[in-house]
Amino acid sequence: VAELVVVGISHHTADVALRERLAFPDGEVAGALAELQALPSVGEALLVSTCNRVEVYAVARTTPAAIGEIRRFLSGARGIEDERLQAHVYEHAGDTAVRHVFRVASSLDSLVVGESQILGQLKSAYGAASKAGTVGPLLGRCVERAFGVAKRVRSETAIARGAANVSTVAVELVRKVFGELAGKIVLVVGAGKMSDLAARHLRTDGASDILVTNRSPERAVELAHRIGGQARPWEDLPRLLEISDVVISSTGSREPIITKSLMKSVMRARRHRQIFLIDIAVPRDVEAAAGKLDGVYLFDIDDLERVVADNRRDRQKEASAAERIVDHEVGEFRVWLRGQNVIPTIKDLRERFVRVAQAEAERTLASLGEKLDPRAQDAVRVMAESIVNKLLHMPMTTLKTAGDDVEGMVVTTRRLFGLEEPPAGAVPANPKPATEKP
Amino acid sequence: VTGLAVAFWVAAGLYAASCVLYFGFLVGAPEGLRRAARLVLAIAFVAHTVEMCVRGVARLHPAASPGEALGFLAWLLTGAYLLAQLKKPLDAVGAFVAPAVTAMLIAARLTPSGTPNSGIGTLGRVHISLAMAGVSIFALAAALAVAYLLEDRQLRRKRLGRLVKRGTALETLDRLAHRCVQVGFPLFTIALVTGAMWSSQRAEGIRVEYAIAALAWAAFAVLLIARSTVGWRGRRAAVMTLAGFSSALVVLVVYLARAAGGG
Repeated sequence: VAELVVVGISHHTADVALRERLAFPDGEVAGALAELQALPSVGEALLVSTCNRVEVYAVARTTPAAIGEIRRFLSGARGIEDERLQAHVYEHAGDTAVRHVFRVASSLDSLVVGESQILGQLKSAYGAASKAGTVGPLLGRCVERAFGVAKRVRSETAIARGAANVSTVAVELVRKVFGELAGKIVLVVGAGKMSDLAARHLRTDGASDILVTNRSPERAVELAHRIGGQARPWEDLPRLLEISDVVISSTGSREPIITKSLMKSVMRARRHRQIFLIDIAVPRDVEAAAGKLDGVYLFDIDDLERVVADNRRDRQKEASAAERIVDHEVGEFRVWLRGQNVIPTIKDLRERFVRVAQAEAERTLASLGEKLDPRAQDAVRVMAESIVNKLLHMPMTTLKTAGDDVEGMVVTTRRLFGLEEPPAGAVPANPKPATEKP
Repeated sequence: VTGLAVAFWVAAGLYAASCVLYFGFLVGAPEGLRRAARLVLAIAFVAHTVEMCVRGVARLHPAASPGEALGFLAWLLTGAYLLAQLKKPLDAVGAFVAPAVTAMLIAARLTPSGTPNSGIGTLGRVHISLAMAGVSIFALAAALAVAYLLEDRQLRRKRLGRLVKRGTALETLDRLAHRCVQVGFPLFTIALVTGAMWSSQRAEGIRVEYAIAALAWAAFAVLLIARSTVGWRGRRAAVMTLAGFSSALVVLVVYLARAAGGG
């Protein structure tokens, strides 16, 4: 019986060095997918390669063989010794594999629980596999269901609420002071990487202007160019502070650049309009006492990190609610999958019975010759078919509604009625549309 | 007068329910509560309006007695809040406004109403109505100021409680409070002038509350001037708003107590 398997490594099991080596650049994904599908025990395949995980989701014809083949493919393709990979790789099959896919999509397996990036990455991986034609009905159904689960988790739990990294936390805090960012001016002091990120966030949130100033004018121009801002001379700092609403500071200065006395005169000049100072420099750029002034909101890197930690803790609390949703969905998927696994057997069984009945009916009709008029002949054919239907009704219902013993029953049925083995990995050609509940 | 009693209890019950909902919203109940709280408060306001109409039919003018005046004040405050709420999400502020209104309405209807002021005259009515309107708008400004001070404190201490997480942005609170003071101040000024005229008409002596009323007026005047000249805002403005409002409140309480005492 066809089964879902997952083989891969993630930030839970492997360090960044190994993840980097195993990662597949976008350009190589299509080729890798084709090779995966060509493996003897693999039916369908999907490859997820991000900086935090490299995973293959596949439909296995025979599970243990498929897992081994996939792992050896990964080590072979990336030139890693199989033993080394084996120490870091995780392998899931059946329900555990489905649960893994659902958890990854819902971002329960992510480094930052609740982040939304992974869902997008999974969607593009699915797109690539669909394009390469390596996703069939079973894997397709599973992954699409995973997207549905992720949506449920996001809307029914608070797992994605509260910013979980420093730059988004900074933006969130700024919004607590200003509400709308439209028309606000952002000043970037110094040219650190983090200020780059925070400034970009503020810009996408609606901040109208970004001004950049730096001791070295060249670097100011360079950063301004990169984030779509305007470079301003360093000497203008006091004047720039007067007109800006949000200041992101990250210079390498040993001494505070923005002192309390400077801020005092700045506040007077800006008629005490609120100003938000984000100091991500170490050592700090803004004198702590400046944050005591009315209208000045000062957050340094430690403050931001603390808020991040709080938010992450809140998210973690929500994770158990999310896990319950995943549990439920895995159960639903199992029920659907079972239904799919008995379909080929039911089809074979019915085909065999109908063939026998038809043959017998035709033989009878042939021996009766011309004694029967066409209407009576039809009646005989109909009778044969309805006997088959009546006889098969019970076993078919039993198979369709079977519980955990379904696999045994399929095997028994096949043996009892001499149905030849189905092609390995066979799945129905026409699954229900993915939008339907399993 | 059973019709009056029923209308009052319906309004009071709805106000109380909105208090619970707003409070629940503030302490972290699901987001859906926000809409429920708004809706219940709006319905309570409608019920309160109906109640006031019933009283009007029974010839109970808002300025007829201190109790009536307080009930009118509660109604104005709710109306002003709901109006402001249309423009900005102020649900956290609602957690302060709703209990205040509930308490005011209950106090208005359940305390002994004192002797109805029969010889109140047109000037008296104008004075009382404007004073009530002014104070209710100041009350809203004060609620906004309290929310501002609490949120400001949480942000400064880097302890982000529910109020910051669910509250309105500081700049918005500040701007709205300022708008309220701008609207309330002229009303309060005219109320003061008509009050002085009314009192001289009735040939009363100078009373303590006149001085306190003048103090409240001065506080708001200073606030408005300081804001337009040196740009006072934020914490300082919030504290000043609270000072002005509490003085106005003292005047109101003294007036109500005096009226209830029949003097």
